[in-house]
Amino acid sequence: MSSRDPSLDCGQSVDAAPYVLGSLADADDYREHLEECAICRAQVAELQLVVDTLPASVPAVRAPEALRTRVLSTVRSEAELLKSAGSGAEEPRARTGRRRSLRVSLLGAGLAIAVTAAAAVAITINLRSTAHERVSTAQVAASIRGARASLRQSGGRAELVVSGMPQPPLGDIYEVWLARGSAAQPTDALFSVTSSGTASVNVPGSLHGVQEVMVTSEPLGGSSHPTSAPLLRVAV
Amino acid sequence: MQLVAGADADAFEVILERHADAAFSLAYRMCGRRSLAEDVAQESFLSLWRSGGRYDRARGSVRTWTLGIVHNRAIDALRRSSVHDRRRASDDALEQELEAPERTDVQAMSNAASEEIRAALGELPSEQRHVIELAYFGGFTHTEIASMLDTPIGTVKGRMRLGLEKLRGHLGGWQAVGA
Repeated sequence: MSSRDPSLDCGQSVDAAPYVLGSLADADDYREHLEECAICRAQVAELQLVVDTLPASVPAVRAPEALRTRVLSTVRSEAELLKSAGSGAEEPRARTGRRRSLRVSLLGAGLAIAVTAAAAVAITINLRSTAHERVSTAQVAASIRGARASLRQSGGRAELVVSGMPQPPLGDIYEVWLARGSAAQPTDALFSVTSSGTASVNVPGSLHGVQEVMVTSEPLGGSSHPTSAPLLRVAV
Repeated sequence: MQLVAGADADAFEVILERHADAAFSLAYRMCGRRSLAEDVAQESFLSLWRSGGRYDRARGSVRTWTLGIVHNRAIDALRRSSVHDRRRASDDALEQELEAPERTDVQAMSNAASEEIRAALGELPSEQRHVIELAYFGGFTHTEIASMLDTPIGTVKGRMRLGLEKLRGHLGGWQAVGA
């Protein structure tokens, strides 16, 4: 069935199909391979078009009105806060999309991003791991003592699960950062917590080379560099 | 989407209205439970709102982007929920797991494109369709699928690839709904 020219194949192109289906267990490695392999990139692009049609095959179910109402309520509330905070609050939101890796000294005296041992409650790392999932527990800043968080890694994906977190201050939102060496890279993972203090957040991008996943409180829309000390830190 | 990136709630409402049903349908198909599907859809739309500036028109339609977010979130939800474990033990079609009272909400999509895709999936050899459904809608990794089916990993990957290539052949130049 395939019309591919075998002479243009790559040994790892067999991973293209599970990758586009979201099923490749070691997706990070393949993602890195894609940066170097034009053959695999072309195959992924080709198969992705097919996978993008699959949602249209599902039975149609009308979304509940309550879902629309909840989403719109949150969106309008955040939009109002942004508006009332003025244009200065919108800049970080625009910058977040750039995904620039910014050189930020995590130990710099002038920047309030270092969490001292005294300010943090040290928790065991790698509390629970299975063949399919690795779970690392976060260090929690003293200012949110009582909160708990863990990073769950499996199948090339990472998810931050928190509980007992206070709501971010008015006009703020929690932002997830990836620390590589002394650089803190912003992500588009912005979140608040439920009334019971829980949240689960998908950590975007590859964790390859990442030493820590951090969470800070930032102005709505997020920031391109941390403006406050980390509340959560998880060693990867 | 430029307006959404600029935090325009009215513009976002248009996006929500246009894609909420498709997003919820996909989440429901994957999660099999209304409450979990609602959580997934809500989380997806809020993520879309908060990262609107990252949308790149060159990489696909707004619907494709939205459903991609829903798919990823649903996989995350499945992989941490007991639903996933239950599915592991079941070889039934995922559609049969819809809770009975909720089936009354289910309507067949009427547009020709959806019919065409369903027909194309139906024409696949069952072993190819099965691995594609377990992977895409079930959220299982290829190693989990290989273990469940007691089939070599290479065979599972091969079936996925053959199935997708056959689908491509069946669908021809068809583009994603809502593109």
